[in-house]
Formats: sequence, C-alpha cells, structure tokens
Amino acid sequence: MKRRAFMLSCLLSAIADASPQYAKVLRGLALQFPRDHGAHPDFRTEWWYVTGALDLPRQDIGFQLTFFRVRTGLAESLASPIAASQILFAHAAVTLPGDKLLHAERAARANLGAGVSTTDCDVHVGAWQMQRNPSDVFILKAQDAQFAFDFSLTPTQPKMLQGDAGFSQKAARAEQASYYLSWPQLRVDGGIVIDGKAQRAQGKAWFDHEWSSEVLGDADVGWDWLGINLADGGALMAFRIRDAAGATVFAHAALRDAAGRTQLWSGVAVQFQPLRKWRSARGTDYPVAIEVRFGPHVIRTKPIIDDQELSTRRPAMVTYWEGLVQVEGTLVGSGYLELTGYSGKIAL
Amino acid sequence: MTLALWLIKAQFQTRFTATLLSMLAIALGVALGFAIDLINTAALTDFSRAMKSVQGEPDVVIAPRDSAASVPLAVVNRVARDPAVSVIAPVIEVRVRIIDEPATVRLIGLDVLTAPTVMPDLLPRQSAEIPGNLFDDGVYLSRALLARLKRKAGDQVTITRGDATWQTRISGDVPATRADDLIAVADIAWVQARFGPLDGVSEARIRLAANTDIETWKKSVAATLPAALIVKGAADEGARVSNLSRAYRVNLNVLALVALLTGGFLVFATQLTAVAQRSTQFALLGVLGLTPTQRMAQVLFEAIAIGIPGSALGLALGYALAFAFTRLLGGDLGGGYFSGSAPTIAAAPLSILIFFALGCAASLIGAAYPAWLNRTQPLAAALKTGFAHRPPRAHKRRCILLGVLALVALSLSQAPAIAGLPFAGYAAIAVVLVMGITAAPLATHVLFSHLSRYNLPPAQRIAVQNVAQAPLMAQVAASGLIVSFALTVSMITMVSSFRVAVDTWLDEVLPAPFYARSKATPLPQAALDALMRPDAPFAKRESAAFSSLTLDPSMPAVALLVRELNRDDPGARLPFTGPVITSPSGQTVVWVSEPMAELYRVVPGQQLRLPLLGRDTDVFVGGVWRDYARQFGSVVISRSDYEKLGGRFEPTDLALWPLAGQDAAAKNWLADYVKRYALEFSESAEIRRLSLSIFDKSFAVTYALEAASMMIGLFGLAVTLAASVWLRARELATLSALGFDRAMLTRAVMFEGLMIASIGLAIGLACGIAVGALLTHVINPQAFHWRMQLHVPWLVVSIGAGLTLLAGLGASRFAARQTTLLPAARVLGGVQ
Repeated sequence: MKRRAFMLSCLLSAIADASPQYAKVLRGLALQFPRDHGAHPDFRTEWWYVTGALDLPRQDIGFQLTFFRVRTGLAESLASPIAASQILFAHAAVTLPGDKLLHAERAARANLGAGVSTTDCDVHVGAWQMQRNPSDVFILKAQDAQFAFDFSLTPTQPKMLQGDAGFSQKAARAEQASYYLSWPQLRVDGGIVIDGKAQRAQGKAWFDHEWSSEVLGDADVGWDWLGINLADGGALMAFRIRDAAGATVFAHAALRDAAGRTQLWSGVAVQFQPLRKWRSARGTDYPVAIEVRFGPHVIRTKPIIDDQELSTRRPAMVTYWEGLVQVEGTLVGSGYLELTGYSGKIAL
Repeated sequence: MTLALWLIKAQFQTRFTATLLSMLAIALGVALGFAIDLINTAALTDFSRAMKSVQGEPDVVIAPRDSAASVPLAVVNRVARDPAVSVIAPVIEVRVRIIDEPATVRLIGLDVLTAPTVMPDLLPRQSAEIPGNLFDDGVYLSRALLARLKRKAGDQVTITRGDATWQTRISGDVPATRADDLIAVADIAWVQARFGPLDGVSEARIRLAANTDIETWKKSVAATLPAALIVKGAADEGARVSNLSRAYRVNLNVLALVALLTGGFLVFATQLTAVAQRSTQFALLGVLGLTPTQRMAQVLFEAIAIGIPGSALGLALGYALAFAFTRLLGGDLGGGYFSGSAPTIAAAPLSILIFFALGCAASLIGAAYPAWLNRTQPLAAALKTGFAHRPPRAHKRRCILLGVLALVALSLSQAPAIAGLPFAGYAAIAVVLVMGITAAPLATHVLFSHLSRYNLPPAQRIAVQNVAQAPLMAQVAASGLIVSFALTVSMITMVSSFRVAVDTWLDEVLPAPFYARSKATPLPQAALDALMRPDAPFAKRESAAFSSLTLDPSMPAVALLVRELNRDDPGARLPFTGPVITSPSGQTVVWVSEPMAELYRVVPGQQLRLPLLGRDTDVFVGGVWRDYARQFGSVVISRSDYEKLGGRFEPTDLALWPLAGQDAAAKNWLADYVKRYALEFSESAEIRRLSLSIFDKSFAVTYALEAASMMIGLFGLAVTLAASVWLRARELATLSALGFDRAMLTRAVMFEGLMIASIGLAIGLACGIAVGALLTHVINPQAFHWRMQLHVPWLVVSIGAGLTLLAGLGASRFAARQTTLLPAARVLGGVQ
C-alpha cells in the first residue's frame, strides 16, 4: 500500500509544472501527540494503515484499512476550496482463510467528499473513516458491496516510535527518511459483514502512521515490509528496500518484547531471503514465504492464502501483494506482509 | 373454406378499385400511427441517451431548485459521509464562450476521482503530446467541439463568461462523448475558481450502495436538506423527459387513430355496397345451404383480407414515413422539444404487433354492420328484388338522440383533464362526430323530401325520390364526408386560431425594434456600460436574465425571467390575460404565465412560495400573462425585486429602442459589439418571421393528417356514390329504355351526388367548427395550458368545401357514366 501511495505521488507530481516545496523529514524532531496523529499536509505523502487478524467470527480472517493523503503539488495557488492539492485515497481488504481476498477502494479530494484533520487522527473518504477518540481508541469504518466492518481498536501497550524516536531512515542518504510510528497489539472489537451476514468480530491489530516527502531513491523499485503482533505480546517490524536486480538497498528491523524493551538492527545485520515464490494470475512472482534474519533471530512467513495480490485502478494501475501471514521460527505471531514492485513498471 | 376464398377473390376482382382504396386507407391510418410511435420512441431514446452521455446514470441527483443557485459544499461533504453513498460526484456546469468563436459552449467541471463511476462518458483524456494532467489548468473538448472550433490539443484558448475569463490550453479530448455533443470538460476546481460558484457546485450526482432502496433514501435525505435543494431520482428524470412531449404525442396519436377509424369507415362503405350488390348472389348461396352465420363470416373474412395486407403495407409505409420525417423535421416532428441530430428509427416487436392488430380491428369494425346486414337479409326478397334495407328510424327518436348527444358533448367539454391529458375533450370530439353522422339521415330525408315537392325535371325527380325513400347509401356517402370534412375544418380552425393568437402575442412581447442576446452567458459589463453611454444611439434599453426553477422533480422546470420592467406597470411589457393586482406594499411581486397558473394552480392575488436564489421565498402573484413560448410555465420578476432579494442580475438578453430615425446608425453602432462579444442580433420582424416559421413547421404533421383525412373522405364518397348508382343500374336501364338519354341520366346522378355532398359538407362544417372550438378551448388549455380566441378561416374553409364538392361531382359523374355505358338490355336481362 505504501508503495502505491509513493508511485501515485510520483505520477501526480512528476508532471506538475512547478514542483512545490515539500517539507523535509529531519532527525531529532520531537513528535507531539495528539497533534502528530493528525495530517501533515506540507509533506508529500502520508498514510494511516491498520492491519489485523481476527479470531472471531473465524480464526485468521485478515483485514486491512488504509488512508493515504497525497500532496499533489497541483493547483496550490488556485483560489478554490476544492483544488486537487490534497487527495485522499482509501483502501480496504478482507482475507477469508481458505477462500479469497475481498477488497475495495475509494478516492476523493479533500473538502469534496473526503477530509482529514491536522490536529488528531481523523480521516475519511466518503463514509469510510479512521478516527482516534480522546481515550486513544481508534474507530474504523468501511463498507462496500461484498463486505463491511466497523471496529474499535483499543491499545493494550504504548505506541512504538520507529527508528530514532519516530525518525525512520530508508536509505543511506539522510533525506530518504520518514516519520513513522506504530501501535502494535491493539485489541479489535466490533462487527463485520461478509456476503450480507453481520457477525461480531474480535482480534488483534497493528496501526501505522507514516509521513514523508522522499523515501525511495531513483534506482529503487519496491520494498518488502512486515508488521507482526507476536504471540507473547511482543512486536516485530522489518523492511528492506530493493533495487531492480532484487538486491537489498537498505534493510531495518525493530523488535519490542513483551516487557517493552526495543532492539534495532540495520544494514547488513538484516537479511531477507525468499523461500517460496507464488505466481499470480497476472504472471507476477511474489516471494510469499520469506526468511528474515536479524541478530539472533530467524523467522519465516507463511501466508494464510497465497492469492492476496491486489490491483488498484485509480488513478493508475498498481499491482502488489499484501496479506495476512503467520510467522514461525525464533519468534511466533501473525501480521501483514507487503511485497511491492514485483509486477514491473506501472502503465501511465 | 374454398368457397370463402373464391368469394374473396371474386370480390377483389369485381370491386378492385374500392377494395384497393380501403386497403390504402387502412394502410394510411396504420402508417401514421406507427410512424408517430416510431419517431417518438426514437426521439425519446435518443434524448435520454444524450442526457445520459452528459449526466451519466446517477441513482440520485441533488440539485438546487433555482438554476442560479448552487448545492453548498457543506451539503456535498455531509451527504458524502452517508454509508449508503457509494460515490458522490459533484459537477459544476456553466455556459461559457470561447473567444473568437460565435457559439456558446457547456463547460462541465468534474472531479476525475469520482466521475468514472457515475458519468464515464465525460471522462477527459490527456493528449500524449501535452504535459500536465487531469487536475491541472486545461480544458478537454469533445470531438465534435474540436472539429467545430477547428482547434487541436495544445492550442491556447480564452474562455469567458460575463466578465470572468480563463486563459488556458486545450489539454486533450473527451473520447466517449457522442458525435454531436458540443461540450468542454475541465477539473472542477479550475472551473470553480474561474467562474464560480465559490462555495458550492451545480449538482451532486450520487451512486448508492447496491442494496439501498433509492426512494426511501431519497426521502430521508431530502428531509435533512434545505428546501431550496431537490433530490431527484432516475425515475423523476424519466418522467420529466416523457412529460416534455407527452401532450403533443398523445394529440398526434389521437389524430392517427382518427385516420385509422376513417380507414375503417371506408371498409364499411365498401363492404356495405359489396353486400348490397351481391345480395342476390348471397341469397342464392343461402338457398343452397350457406347458413346466415356463414354469410356473416364471409363478409368478415373479406374485411380481414383487406385488413391484413392494408396493415402490412401500413407498417412498411409507417417505417418509411418515420425515416423521412426524422430526416426532414427531427425527432420531435417539429414540435421543438428535443433538439439535436436525427434519431435512429428502430421498431419494437410489440408496437409492430399492436399497430398491425389495430389495422385489422379497424377493418373488422368497419365490416361489422354490413356483415350483420348480410346475415339478416330475407332470402326470398333478396332473390327477387335484390338488396333490402329497413327504412330509417323514426325522426322523432333521432332528434331526441341528437339532443342527448349534444348534452353529453357539452358536459364532456366542461370536464377537467385526467392525468394532465384532455381525455374528456377527446371524447367530446368523438360525440360531436357521432352527432354529425346521426344527423345525416335526418338531413338527407328532410332535404330530399322537400326537394321532391318541387317541379324538377323527371330524371332529377326520380333521383330525389330514390334517395328520400332509401337513404342508406346517401347516408354512408355523407357520413364519410362529414367526418373527414369536420376533422379538416377543425384542424384548420385550431391551427389558424393558434396562429392568429401567436401573431398578436408576438406583437405584444416584442415591443422593441432590436434584440441582442449573448446566448445564455451573461453580457460583459463593458458592453452594458457602453450601451448606457450618452453617445449610444438608443432611446431606451431593457435587459433580462433567465434561470429555471424546479418546482416538481417530475415536471420540466419553470423558467424564471428577471426583467427590467416597472413593477407598478407590468402591463406595459406583459400581455396579461386578466386583472393585474398591485402587491401589498414592499412585497416581492411576480407575474406567472398562463401554463404556470394552470399547471401549479396559481391565481392572481395569492401568495406563492418559490425557491428563489437558494431559499424559499414568499412572493405575491400580481397577475397571469400569456406565454406561448414556454409550455411548462414561466415566472417574471422585476430586476429591482430580484436585487432586493439579494440576487445578482446578470443579463443575457437586451431589448433596444434606437433613437428616432437612427435605426441604421444604431445597427452600425451595435455591429461592433455584436462581433466582439459574439452576440446574436435580431430585429423584431426577423424574430416574428422565425417564430411563425417554427410554428408552421410544428404543425407540418397536422397538415399531413388533414390531407390524409380529406383524401379518405373523398375515396368514401366516390366508392359509395359509384355503388349506389350501380345498385340502381336496373332502374337506370329502365329509364333508358323509356327514352332517357345518357346525358339526362348522368345529370340526374350528378345532381344526386351534389346534393349528398352538400349535406355532408354542411354537416361536416358545423361539426368541424364545433370540434375546432373544442380543440381551441378544451384540448389546448388542458394539454398545453394555453388559451386563445377561436378564429375560423372562412376563405380556406370555403375553398376546401368547393374543391370537395367538385371532387364529389367528378366521382358521381364517373359512377354515372360507368353505369350508363352498360347496354340496357343486358341490365334488364338480370345481369348485375
């Protein structure tokens, strides 16, 4: 999903007449809450991203709801409250174990069907929404023809500022970085509707909020990312950025154990190794089973179902793999794996 | 069966002309009805498709009731968060002008993020050679517009509306638009920034989640919206489109039905004469064992044998007619409801079946009475003396019947419209025609009995006696003429009344010598200022602005006219139909048009709530004025009242009075502005001429139907007269044997024809004027909501009557000559 937002921003801004001054991500800035739960419209891209695994109504139902904000760099000086300078996209998906992936998307410009707060987490596209209330509970709502859900996410642990107090390096160059915070081990309560049948839902979720102006370098084509709620109450986040040859450009892993102690690994200390590839109907090979080594740990991902490939249409075609996996090895848990940049260049 | 076929064959051979004519008449009726149906279906489909192309197919649309107002952004954003809303696609639509181009263009501002679901045909396409994207500064033109403007992607264009301008570039095209859509598309924010409205949009088009009940949702949302906004469903849109031309369509269909029934009448005439002429034959067959029911069936078989080929021919003819008409007049048959290209004609199987059945039914109905007569013929009498017919009913009873019918017609004419259509009025017309036919035997008997008392030459005397005693044939011949002439007279009367009324009305609504319009975009202030300068050669100028009000979503919108007129003396500019009431001091006053008053039941002096400028406003109705231009109603408000309500007066139309004797100078002075601002300049005489020509065009079909009905009437006369003479071949032969020469006999028959035609024409004229009055005073106000004075064009009617009379004489002369050619000996010998 993140990859998609990135490509979108390129698509929109590469062809804009005058590139606007995007805000820069700087090390050492202290994030303020709840202000920094809200939007940062001066930056190019931003997303609020919730993934989770349900136990009720069925074990291993995966769900995902993401809101993207893109500063297009277009029509910024236009005297119109509905100028397309800030566009919001939303994406929702439900993985049914042993069955299939359901997904839907929404798009609208800010102030014309969509909106985002700059003071707290409160973002919506149409009736889809993600909103934090003062007691830190997140409300998620999404509905489409095939599925709908309405969840409240209650923290069981403090939030987790990634990298250096929320400054997350993505490459060797200092400019390639983002502000990034996660909130693992959220308790999910609410209802889910699948094929018209409304059921009570319970499970665990992972919340990400990330904003930046420049993440990938020119030679980079995509990334592998995972965010795993560990069975023992710990949390694992790891990613690597790849070049066209599939080699790792930059890699990072963060592990917070149940007691709240965090350990970080970067560079060659983090190794991603594809174990099994699955070929999608579109002919793309995704390493749905991968092995990640960092420090003393070796973990392997095992997808709930192989076909969790997604394709979004608006405004351009972007295809990637994003789905619920189980993690085995030295650490055990479940969460989301994201594989982007495997399907080649996007068609304009 | 073999006998039946043999008889049919014999019948066709003997009465070839009459049978062919009946067939043609049926064909004509079917053709007209079918053609109207085809054209209308095609036009409606075409119109709906065109609407869909630019509006898409939203489930629901939120729009302002006043086209000058807008849907606030706050409403769009609130409704967008409704879980039942799948996509909300806002649109800003303005009419703009492209500098250096004469025509105005619809500029549609949309959001490409939301438009694809609701209006895919409007999606713009970035030209590959042009940098930029769909959210950027740039316009996308439909192919038709690119072709019309002879421009291409990459060209700079300046778009203006009133005083606002937008210098931009053609960034690409709108590939899915239809071949004749002249539209420009751009990003909604750019349109808003350049032309407004600043905090709203023109419309919000909504696609609801699949399992939503649209009606329920509509109601619940409407309850939360300000009164000045309206929530329209797709069904409303369909109803509105259909309502546009409904009355006009029904009117045409009734005319087609009349043509069909006239065809049925011709079958009646043919079959009646056929039964009469073959009475001896049938009697013989009867004696040989043909049962009365079989004899009746035979006549019906023959009718069907006329009906089937007639209907088939009619369908083919109708298809051809529809094709020709749409090419010549367009899909609205000149009615002016739908503009655009000629629609594609496609026949639905059901309507083919219906019109085929109607044609056969008309022919069967026509044959019903002759068939019944054939069944009840006394065999012995028929064998001996030929066809027998009961004497006419007692005159007294007939008089009473006429009186009752007159009362029925009168009360029907007073009945209100049903579902917006004047069905009672149509029934009244039918009753008047029945009255005419009922009166025919009475008149025939009275006239011929009267004539028989005079000392006429022997031949004529015999003819007169003959008709007075056995008036069936005369009645049949006269009835045909009565019906067709009545219809023709009534149509001519109605059209002429209407035309005279429109003519007078045009004088009243076009008081200024010059008019200039900026084609729906506001006039630039610079042009208005120039007009007001002291050196401008004008004594007086008045400007007007237009918008539309949706009062009922299923009805076409009512026009709102903002005019510079003296609110204390509106009569100086508006042709009022009744009293003008001064409004209580200070209150906003409006003057409603006659259709508006009828459609929305508004009377002068009452309070009316109108959705003006985005809010409900109470206004005072100062009077009702005549407006033949806008069938679905219009409201006039003075500029001062409009501005007092907070409206921005952005005039698009100018009425100009040059200084005395400076017409030419004023025209020259204007020419510069006309060119610079691409105005449409016209002199009042020109507008008059154009309006009347549109009027005449819109009645083209009516004229065609009149001609058809007159032709059928004449066919009927010729056939029946010929038959009635045929029947008397024996009598004529006897007279000939007694020494009458052919000239004398021919004169006698022609005299008879003249008398019958005169009766038909006289009664037809009376009925025609009555029907004309019904059309003018009942049908028109109920179907189209406009009233006018009755005006009978005597000259045209007299010429028509004279020509018909001559044609009747010709027909009877032909009949007489045919008969008298037969050798008397053969006739007397019993060969018929």
